[in-house]
Amino acid sequence: MTIQVVDVSKRFGTFDALNGVSLDIAPGELVALLGPSGSGKTTLLRVIAGLEQPDTGRVLFNGDDTTDTRVQEREVGFVFQHYALFRHMTIFENVAFGLRVRPRATRPNEKEIQRKVHELLGLVQLDWLHDRYPHQLSGGQRQRIALARALAIEPKVLLLDEPFGALDAKVRKELRRWLRRLHDEINLTSVFVTHDQEEALEVADRVVVVNHGKIEQVGTPDHVYDHPATPFVYQFLGNVNRFEGRIHRGVAHIGGGEVLAPDHADAHEARGTAYVRPHDIDIADAPDISTVEATLDHAVKIGAMVRLELSRRDNGDFVEVELTRERYESLQVTEGDVVYLRPRRARVFIDDKPADGAAVRLNSDVLGPSDSKSDAKTAHAA
Amino acid sequence: MSAIAVPPTLVINKRRKPFPWVTVALCTVAFLYLALFLFIPLATVFFEALKKGVGFYFNAVTEADTLSAIRLTLIAAAISVPLNLIFGIAAAWAIAKFDFRGKSLLITLIDLPFSVSPVISGLIYVLVFGLQGWLGPWLAEHDIKIIFAVPGIVLATIFVTFPFVARELIPLMQAQGRDEEEAAAVLGASGWQTLWYVTLPNVKWGLLYGVILCNARAMGEFGAVSVVSGHVRGLTNTLPLHVEILYNEYAFAAAFATASLLAGLAVVTLVVKAIIEHRFLKETQ
Repeated sequence: MTIQVVDVSKRFGTFDALNGVSLDIAPGELVALLGPSGSGKTTLLRVIAGLEQPDTGRVLFNGDDTTDTRVQEREVGFVFQHYALFRHMTIFENVAFGLRVRPRATRPNEKEIQRKVHELLGLVQLDWLHDRYPHQLSGGQRQRIALARALAIEPKVLLLDEPFGALDAKVRKELRRWLRRLHDEINLTSVFVTHDQEEALEVADRVVVVNHGKIEQVGTPDHVYDHPATPFVYQFLGNVNRFEGRIHRGVAHIGGGEVLAPDHADAHEARGTAYVRPHDIDIADAPDISTVEATLDHAVKIGAMVRLELSRRDNGDFVEVELTRERYESLQVTEGDVVYLRPRRARVFIDDKPADGAAVRLNSDVLGPSDSKSDAKTAHAA
Repeated sequence: MSAIAVPPTLVINKRRKPFPWVTVALCTVAFLYLALFLFIPLATVFFEALKKGVGFYFNAVTEADTLSAIRLTLIAAAISVPLNLIFGIAAAWAIAKFDFRGKSLLITLIDLPFSVSPVISGLIYVLVFGLQGWLGPWLAEHDIKIIFAVPGIVLATIFVTFPFVARELIPLMQAQGRDEEEAAAVLGASGWQTLWYVTLPNVKWGLLYGVILCNARAMGEFGAVSVVSGHVRGLTNTLPLHVEILYNEYAFAAAFATASLLAGLAVVTLVVKAIIEHRFLKETQ
C-alpha cells in the first residue's frame, strides 16, 4: 500500500499545524516522522489516519483519494501514545473489539474471532495475559496489546503516534528493536511519529524531519545524519557546534579561524553559521589560519571516547569535541589549558533569509584550508 | 465530583499528623452541627409521625389523597428521570467528546435550574402555558390543560432536575479524554457502538449516581411544582405538596407520617449513594 500526502495544510485557530506538506511513502516502508513537539508531526499522522480533516490537500492510499473517507472505513491501524486501551474490557476483548463491531455480513464467527485474537496475542507474545485488564499490565505490555488490537482489523497501513514515548529507556530500546523485527515479518506500510532522533535513526527505513508544519528533509537515516539539508536538521539530528561568522568569497571567517565554503563563492560579507559535529573537530598543536582558540574546561571519558567541553576564547561560546582516547592521550592537555580547534568537516549556511530557512539549501561540504588538508587526513587516520 | 473525593482529613493525615486535639475539636464541631441541623429534625419527623401509634400512621399513609399524591410523585419521577437521563448523556457526550460553537453557552444553560429559584421556574411555565400566558388561548381552544394539571407538574419537575445527570457526567467524561473513542473509531466502530461499548461502560457509576440524585430531587421538589400544581387534592398534589396541605390543616401527625415517606426516600438515597461511591472507588483504584 502506498501513501501519498499531497499539499496538505491544517490550521488550528491561528496556529499553522501543517503548511503545504507533501510526502510519498512506498509499500512496505517503515517511515519515521521526526520533529520537536509542536512541529506538526502528530497532526500529519492523524490526517493520514483520518482523525483530522486537512483544510486543503489530499491523502491517497494506493492512488485512491481517501481524503473524504471516514476514519471508520479507512482501514488503518492506529497505535496511540497512551495506548488508549478500553479500560473496562479484558485484553482479549480489547483485541477482539475491531472484529466484533463489524457489520453482521463481514463479522467473523465466535470461533474465528477466538482463533484470530489468540494468534495476534501470540504474535506480541502476550497470550498468557488474555483475561487481565489493561490496568494490570505494564506500559510495555499495554503498548504491545495496543499494537495487536490495531493489527486485528488487518489494516492497510499501520500508524503509530509516539509509540514508545511513555516508556522507560530500557523497555523503549527493547520494544523498538522488536517493532523493527515485527515490521520485517509482516511487511506492512508503517509510519511512526517520534521526537527521539535515536529512535528514528535506528528503526526507520526513511526519516522525515518535520519542523514548523513543514518537511525539512526526507531521506535514509544515514543520509539525513551525514548530509543535513538545513541548519535545523543539523541541530536536531545529533550534537553539533555552531560557529557564527562572516562569509566572504567562499571563505567563512569564524572566531579568528577560516574555513572554506566553496558553495558561497559569490557571498559578499554575508552573515553565516558553520555547523561542525563534535567528532569532526581535531585539536591542533599550534595556532594557524584554520584554528579557533578555546579553553578546555572539562574532559569526560566515556568508554573508548573522550568528550571535551571547551569555551571559545573570543566569545566564551560552548564547544563540544569528541576524540578517541588514544588521540586525547597523545595530546597531553589538561583542564584549563588553551587549545586550538580545527574543524575537519563543516557545513556553512548563510543566515540571509530568516523567513524561509528551507530556501537556503546551499551545499558546502568544506575541508579546512588547503594547506592543512594533509594535516586533517593524518589526524583522521590517527 | 466533590462527592467521590477523599475526605479531607485523610489527605491531611497522609502528609503529616496534626495534633490530636485539632482532629477531636474539628470532629466534635462537625458532629454537633450535623446533629443540630440534620439528625434531630430527621428523628423528629419519625417521632411525630408515630406519636399517635402505628395504626394511625398506616391509616394516614394509606389514605386516598396520600396514595394519589404518591402515585403522582412516582409518575413525575418516572417521566422526568428517563428524559433527563437521555438528555444528560447527550449533553455530556457532546460537551466532553466534540468541539462545537456555543459549547460554553450550553454548559451555562445546563446550570440554569441550579441558579434560578424553583418558584421562578414554575412561574415561567405559568407565563407560557397558563390561561393568560403566551400559549394559553391556543391551548384552551384545543382543550389541552397543562397548568394546574399533571403535564405542568411533569414539566416543572423536568426543568428543575435536568442538570443532575449532565453535571455528574461532564467532568468524568472530560477527565477520561477522547483517546478511547478515537481508538474505537479507527477500529471501525460507529458512533452508537462507541457510545454503547466504550463511553457508557466507562462512566456507569457516575451515571447511576447522577440518576439517583436526579430521582431524589424529582420526588422531593416543592417550589416549582407548587406554583404549577394548583393544589387540587387527590388530583394535582405531589407528596411534598400534600405534606404542606396537611400541616396547614393542623393534621400534624398525618403531615409527619407523609413526610416520613420522603425522609425514608432520602435515607435510601444516601445508602445507595454510599454503596455506589464505594464501588466506584474500588474500581478506579
